[in-house]
Amino acid sequence: MSREWLSRLSHVGMVILLLVVLSIISPAFLSVQNLINVVRQASLLFILASGLTIVVLTAGIDLSIGAVLAVSACVGANYIVQGSVWLGSLVGLAVGALCGLLNGLMVAVIGLPPFIATYGMLWVAEGTAQGFMQGEITAEFPASFRFLGAGRILGIPVPILLMVATLAACSFALRRTSFGRYVYAMGANREAARLSGIHIRRNLLLVYSASGLLSAFAGLVYISRINGVESTIGEPLLLPALAAVCIGGTSLFGGEGGIEGTLTGALIMTLVTNGMNLLNVSPYWQSFVMGTIVVMAVAIDQLGAEKVGRS
Amino acid sequence: MSGERWPEWARRAAMAPGAFYALILLSLVFGVFTAQFLTLHNLANVGIQASVLIIVALGMTLIILSEGIDLSLGTVLGLASVVLALCVKQQMMLGVGILLAILVGVAFGAINGTLITRLGLPPFVVTLGSLGMAQGLSLILTKGRSIPGLGPRVQYFNDGWVAGIPVPVVMAAATFLVVYVILYHTKFGTYVFALGGNEEALALAGVRTRLYKTGVYVLGGALAGVGALVMTGRMNCAHPDVGVGLEFDAIAAVILGGTSFERGKGWLVGTLIGVAAVSVLRNGLNLIGLSSTWQMSTVGAVIILAIVVDALRGI
Amino acid sequence: MAETLVLQLEGISKQFPGVKALDDVSFDLRRGEVHALVGENGAGKSTLIKVLAGAHRLDAGRIVIERQPVVIDNPAQALALGVSVIYQEFNLVPYLSVAQNIFLGREPRHRRIPGLIDHARMNAESQRLLDSLGVDLNPRAVVQYLGVAQQQMVEVAKALSLNAQIVVMDEPTAALTTREIEQLFAAIRRLTARGVGVIYISHRLEEVFEVGHRVTILRDGRRVDTLGIQDATMDRLIEAMVGRTIDRMFPRDFAAEKGEVALAVHNLHRNGVLSDINLTVRCGEIVGLAGLVGSGRTELARVIFGADPYDAGEVKIFGRTVRGSPAKCVALGVGFLPEDRKREGLALILPLRENVVMASLRRLFPSGIIRRAKEREVVTDFVKSLDIATPSINRLTKFLSGGTQQKVVLAKWLCTQSRFLIFDEPTRGIDVGAKAEIHQLMNELVKRGAAILMISSELPEVLNISDRIYVMHEGRIAKELAREEATQEAILRYAMGGVK
Repeated sequence: MSREWLSRLSHVGMVILLLVVLSIISPAFLSVQNLINVVRQASLLFILASGLTIVVLTAGIDLSIGAVLAVSACVGANYIVQGSVWLGSLVGLAVGALCGLLNGLMVAVIGLPPFIATYGMLWVAEGTAQGFMQGEITAEFPASFRFLGAGRILGIPVPILLMVATLAACSFALRRTSFGRYVYAMGANREAARLSGIHIRRNLLLVYSASGLLSAFAGLVYISRINGVESTIGEPLLLPALAAVCIGGTSLFGGEGGIEGTLTGALIMTLVTNGMNLLNVSPYWQSFVMGTIVVMAVAIDQLGAEKVGRS
Repeated sequence: MSGERWPEWARRAAMAPGAFYALILLSLVFGVFTAQFLTLHNLANVGIQASVLIIVALGMTLIILSEGIDLSLGTVLGLASVVLALCVKQQMMLGVGILLAILVGVAFGAINGTLITRLGLPPFVVTLGSLGMAQGLSLILTKGRSIPGLGPRVQYFNDGWVAGIPVPVVMAAATFLVVYVILYHTKFGTYVFALGGNEEALALAGVRTRLYKTGVYVLGGALAGVGALVMTGRMNCAHPDVGVGLEFDAIAAVILGGTSFERGKGWLVGTLIGVAAVSVLRNGLNLIGLSSTWQMSTVGAVIILAIVVDALRGI
Repeated sequence: MAETLVLQLEGISKQFPGVKALDDVSFDLRRGEVHALVGENGAGKSTLIKVLAGAHRLDAGRIVIERQPVVIDNPAQALALGVSVIYQEFNLVPYLSVAQNIFLGREPRHRRIPGLIDHARMNAESQRLLDSLGVDLNPRAVVQYLGVAQQQMVEVAKALSLNAQIVVMDEPTAALTTREIEQLFAAIRRLTARGVGVIYISHRLEEVFEVGHRVTILRDGRRVDTLGIQDATMDRLIEAMVGRTIDRMFPRDFAAEKGEVALAVHNLHRNGVLSDINLTVRCGEIVGLAGLVGSGRTELARVIFGADPYDAGEVKIFGRTVRGSPAKCVALGVGFLPEDRKREGLALILPLRENVVMASLRRLFPSGIIRRAKEREVVTDFVKSLDIATPSINRLTKFLSGGTQQKVVLAKWLCTQSRFLIFDEPTRGIDVGAKAEIHQLMNELVKRGAAILMISSELPEVLNISDRIYVMHEGRIAKELAREEATQEAILRYAMGGVK
């Protein structure tokens, strides 16, 4: 328990530190407007990373989340832009869930290593998005859809409310339901979980499908916000999402961490990105920084794990 | 393994890697559906195009044999290509450019290997991170634009001839020979098999496993640098996007060629067959007129399917 | 004669939490002799070997090799000192050749081309070694495709090439045919002819008589006796191996009524592991499953529980034929406490509370939603009733002691209210007081109508608590013994292959 609290404290500390640093760099940073922007940006990253969190908790990985986000959004957008907002959204979510299900089948039924299965899915999904879009952009969604990403309820941007809802739902599922227990058990000790009568296949299929579904959901919110979609929107999102999960304290070896950590991780990653923008760091450097952060986050997590005697 | 019960030919056939069947199948399909596939000109083309993939996949074979993976080989190749182009543009000696390109690969291989062996981090995460780093560096150095017009000396790597054989083919063949000798005739190669098959036995024998494991990644990176030479020569320019996705083809070629992730089982020649299968697939899709926008997903799907079938066969 | 001693272990003691594995054990090995080491499960044989091999550090005593006292801290040091251990799970690289495995780490260099391996020389050398052992094997053959006996020969050749003076063989004949055993013995004789000392661990006493020069019997971590083979008889050996003081044990009352058949196994067969198994367990009884290490008890339990597949036969639980997964068996009311609690019984990084309810979630919370209060109540009950030593139910399981962890596993399965429980070595590594508690618990369970199948290597425990005993030997049921006719000697005899 104390390790969890320690890491939570250090996360909060990091967030505060970043806030302080950024407000020094740019006085405009601490304005309410800007802070709300930051949290809204973080919401999108968080929703995407929440599915990944569940997968990582089972000691798996899903490298396809960015691509699944893209393909779901592209396919869904096709209907949305024609006016069928509900149909388009459902189709988008279904596409995401299907991709997730296929991932789950490859991992749980056929037994491929998760990184190979989801890496393959990355190419298939992104390729499908490319083929579907033929290099074009779909834009200008109906106002009812744009409400998702750009609207406000009681003055609070909708994405932030969706983030809170996702956090609540995932947290509840992971901490308060049998399913959540199965997730942690499978990650903590897959064999012991199997020998305790837990349905490994069934639950893994659910986990990966959930990841696909949440990626699609994040996609819908995202394209609603930027009011357009093209096939490559998912590409730059994998690394920040992975970093958010790792920074948030969820261990790649499974069974440790949680969705709450991913929230702080998403905030930290967004603040870092924000900071880089404020400092006028070119987007090319940002790619480099993202890669470095992922490696550092995982390294720190591993060193911590060794200290406490895991792995 | 009840090897005694099966007749020899059946055992050999069952052990032939999926790539073998895939290659035959694809060749048949494309041979039937397009007139151009089975022409000498086209096949020669495929061979030349495949040379870059061969060079990278050979390095990847050793990495996977040692129970690792390197997702950054594609972008590292791209970065090496950029470095080479910049050197050429700066009027430096070509030799310096070549050296620096290969050094880029070596450096990334060393970083990957060190993080994986010293910190015990999962290889796919480390190399995913270095994928991002390499891509970022490519973008930074090129400012997002391509560097064109590198001149005939660079183009030699693709257009030149040595004793009547195209340079890319010579380089691929030479790389194969070198890697073959390393894998089957040196201590390093023996230890690669041991790292994947029974790392404990190797440690027990007093071998410095960390050193050799890092060495495998360094070799893979160096070969990516070599591949960059041919790639840059072919395109006569360097572009920050070059090489993205190459590692996927390389991994596919290696696995389809019969090298397994977990047991230190592998076959270098199999990788060649795997490269052939992947290259034939891409070439064939081009010939039947599949638009380039659909190629990514089709290739991905076919490769995944082949890997799945291979996995099921192993059960 | 001191000059011919190649190894002396003097006063070796080794303590593990909760159990003294070795207590002042002395053992010596002469050049060119085969010195057999026998004893029941848990007598200390493998611990002694692991100390010699550098896998465990000794607490007291010293090791003397070739008249020089040495310190062995790790396996590499042991190798360097000339100690080669051939375990049952071989230490070979599967897709390298015989020669490459023999010379792993010491590959001969090519004389003319630097950096390359001289395959010709390596193969020739390997051929020489194999010939000197009388083994017919191609040095170029890939190890993975060889049979077990041949792989074993590779290990022996490896030891020879390392100039090992002390070769330890741990149950070497477990997977061999009669003919292969003869070949192994021939190879051993050639080893000893060269002056190598061999420590031979086996429970097959006939073999000990055939190939051994001396035999040492261990019991409860102590050396009982060392005999020249000509002075030893089967009876004398068995007598020395058994005869443990029966601690004050929980007196089982056998009053429970025998109810329905919980488990019925017919002609169960698993290729290479189990043959022709028939057994039944009824509600109200505790059935003991005895046998030596490698006899297939755990394998049988795993097959029954659905953790491993089987090839032929039938497993019926409460009348229903099962062939599936642990999940199915748990749903039918079966529980399984595995032998390796840390790896298979517990998720160490999770809190105690989560481990206890892990197998009972469907029963306790049918809606799928966990109610913390109820969970707390249930877990606290078990902590009390099983006397689990922990400051809180939220403590991470990895911080608990070994004995406490075992109780958590027990709690997990008691929580499922399973009607048929399989216990695999339930009291291993637990102090006497706790053992009695567990036996009492088992008694209570069957009185209330449960059925228990218990695997145990502690013969007194098996005798004390079982209604009936099945003795296993090499994947088969050697004998079924009723409580009245069972003695330690009888069980051991059947466990070792029959009445001789």
